[in-house]
Amino acid sequence: MRFIVRRMGLFLLTLWVALTLNFIIPRLMPGDAALAMWSHIHNATPQQLKALEAMFGTANQNPILAYIAYVGNCLTLNFGVTTDQVPVMTKIMQGLPWTLGLVGVSTVIAFSLGTLVGMYGAWRRGSWSDNLISPLLFIVTTFPVFFLGLVILLIFGVELQWFPQNHPYSNPPGLTLESAADIIYHAVLPGLTLVLTASGGWIYTMRNNMIATLSEDYVRMARAKGLSSWRIMLNYSARNAILPNLTGFAMQVGFILGGSILIEYIYSYQGLGYLFYQGTESRDLPLQQALFLLYTMAVLVCVLVADLLTAWLDPRTRDA
Amino acid sequence: MTPAGTGSAATAAVAASATVAAPAKKMIAKLVIDNESGSAWNCQFNPLNTSDNWYTNGYLYEPLYFVNSLQSNPDGSPKTTPWLATAYSWNADQTQVTFTIRQGVKWSDGQAFTADDVVYTFNALKNDAGADVQGLWTGASAKLTTVAKDTTDPNKVVFTFDKPAGIMFYYMADQQPIVPQHIFGATGVDQTKLETLPNSTPVGTGPLVMSVCEGTNMKFLRNTTYWQSTPDNTVPKVEEVDYPAFLSNDSANLVLHDSQAQWGGQFIQNIQSYYLDVSPNHHIWQPATANVTMYLNIAKDPLLAQKAVRQAISFAINRNDASNLGETGQELPSSQTGIVLPTFKGWYDSSIDTTVPGGDAAKAGQVLGAAGFTKGSDGIYADSKGKRLSFTIKSVQGFSDWDAAIQTIIASAKKAGIELKQQDEDNGTLVADLAAGNFQIAYNAAIGGPTPFYELRNDMDSGSFSNYGKYSNPAVDTLIAQYLKSTSITDQKAIVKQMAQIMNDDVPVIPVTEAADWFQYDTTSIDGWPTADNPYCQPAPWNIPDNMVLLTSIWGK
Repeated sequence: MRFIVRRMGLFLLTLWVALTLNFIIPRLMPGDAALAMWSHIHNATPQQLKALEAMFGTANQNPILAYIAYVGNCLTLNFGVTTDQVPVMTKIMQGLPWTLGLVGVSTVIAFSLGTLVGMYGAWRRGSWSDNLISPLLFIVTTFPVFFLGLVILLIFGVELQWFPQNHPYSNPPGLTLESAADIIYHAVLPGLTLVLTASGGWIYTMRNNMIATLSEDYVRMARAKGLSSWRIMLNYSARNAILPNLTGFAMQVGFILGGSILIEYIYSYQGLGYLFYQGTESRDLPLQQALFLLYTMAVLVCVLVADLLTAWLDPRTRDA
Repeated sequence: MTPAGTGSAATAAVAASATVAAPAKKMIAKLVIDNESGSAWNCQFNPLNTSDNWYTNGYLYEPLYFVNSLQSNPDGSPKTTPWLATAYSWNADQTQVTFTIRQGVKWSDGQAFTADDVVYTFNALKNDAGADVQGLWTGASAKLTTVAKDTTDPNKVVFTFDKPAGIMFYYMADQQPIVPQHIFGATGVDQTKLETLPNSTPVGTGPLVMSVCEGTNMKFLRNTTYWQSTPDNTVPKVEEVDYPAFLSNDSANLVLHDSQAQWGGQFIQNIQSYYLDVSPNHHIWQPATANVTMYLNIAKDPLLAQKAVRQAISFAINRNDASNLGETGQELPSSQTGIVLPTFKGWYDSSIDTTVPGGDAAKAGQVLGAAGFTKGSDGIYADSKGKRLSFTIKSVQGFSDWDAAIQTIIASAKKAGIELKQQDEDNGTLVADLAAGNFQIAYNAAIGGPTPFYELRNDMDSGSFSNYGKYSNPAVDTLIAQYLKSTSITDQKAIVKQMAQIMNDDVPVIPVTEAADWFQYDTTSIDGWPTADNPYCQPAPWNIPDNMVLLTSIWGK
């Protein structure tokens, strides 16, 4: 119980620090929403800048009052409207399903694929498949995600034209099979990029853990008992080796909401990552703050869950 | 501007196209516009909101008059076409202008458009600085004091200014869209925050009506009650207009390449092979009304404060290279006089243009030598205290054509013993730095208008926001004051000539290439596009309100 109280206290403290940083950092960027919007207008005139400054109005308000209002807004989840006058929550709800779908599914696939390949690689270590697939995927993982994304886009989207180059869908999405196919078709390239860049890490840890557990006495015991290889691999070795990966995965879930800004940008995929890029570029403080808060909460909650999960799975960590 | 103008036919803008013995003009089933929006559509159509107006004005909402920056009357003033007004007349000192409002125009919801809507629109801006995008009530050169219906003729609206206001005509008559009083002035609408009204079901007078909007596409249909339509001539000749949202330049370019869009406003890097060679029906015409300019921080940089240094840079840089290599010929080299050619050729005097095209290292060296600069062992000039001529140029991240042009500038300056270094920033940061004077040299588009005066003034007026380097010259300020008071186009041309001479001799900023309006068009099934021979409007989809002129001028083959 004391452990949980301490963890919750730490959680709240971290949240407050993160909230405060979220308030300060965007304000340190040069320029403001009026200037940012003005810079995007064709043949903009100085009069237009004045109108924009009048429209945004609050740019020069007292920072302490602004901070108090900001904390209040965070608590009530009232973020106001973006610089283009759309309610912030509307924008977030528009982007959320796409990011959850693309990045969430990719993360699960990358985790499953990486864990399976790592497990099988360790089991058959030294075999041609282990020598080929594990290092290959690990090399791909080290590519910067934007580089791999551009290469994949160039080959499959531009040259071969097998898959669409941008947008999450071509026709307005609906609850039909056709629409689902359309959405999946559009998600293939960005999804592939995310899976390729993320799975290597899971392979690496799973393979190492698995090699460690394979040399444990209880595995030797199982072999001595004459159990089938599959049973030893899955029930005796992998089951223990997967524990660190599971907590890692719980933490990774927190990063899903952040989307993958670069991938969403390259593929013009209108999820939260793209929204965040836009919010930053247009100095849209309400939008930036709401997204920051969302990301922070997601990561903090998942870390907390991972902590509690680890404590539950492994009693030794509870004193820490 | 001419002191008086009267309009006969609303379609005067397209009169030129009638010179060809025309085959029957068919309807266009669907026109697709292609222009990178950078974000999904927010489906708000408020013409008073700066983030919406570039896809709202012209298409849905219209102004009183159309001012064509690309076409001049014989006296050199820009050509005007009556739109929601049929005529206007100034008083003698140009402090008051009276517009006659067009009869028989309907809002797209069926209500009649009247002089009341015009009076409402302009007076609404008075109480709402955020919606007064053109600064009509706050302008430094002249501002409105009253807008009211004529006491004798309820069909006329009288605009009164505090000073001679010829320069304001463009902003009030061409740039200001008229909104319906019965919607914007309805009870419950905050009259001090009109620009925040979402207006997601817009009601306008324009050639199109909004049909379906979603994040990825805006679908417009023909306004079936458009005021230019007659029983035997349907206007516009377009049934449907699609405007997809493109988040990146490349994705927008591909759609043009594939001939899936007919009206483009895109920068395309290798336009010859990527677009023009793909189909004989692909064409471009990319006129300019302003320059891409090197802004020099005269107020803060002691070297750039010296005329000789500024002149030397202007002589040194090769504008032909910047145009040919940087912009692949799509933007013409600028003149140091600041006059955009051929657009404003009626205002240009080649005898004062002594710099063009630059790339003259010897001349730059002469100027620097005469001013006491000597070349160091590293090949770079320095002053008597050893201060090297080394400057950083700030530009916009992601504008690949500008990057390429700057590389040619750096190369030609180096030949002349001047070191330039490039630093890219995101657009918002660069503009913030420009406003704060936080730069040595900055590369950015100048702000133009329907005559060269607008750009020269924006660059040189000591009180102008966009005089980023804070150049200050009493002679210029006097000339500007004279221009603002003048009502004669002859006087105005004489004043602009003197300003251009100062621009050339004193080098307050360095125009490098002209800032083209990107325009691609497909003639497979559509004709009547604006061309160099018939420049009836600025052609890019984001040129507001010129877009309404284009839409009402094209037809199906």
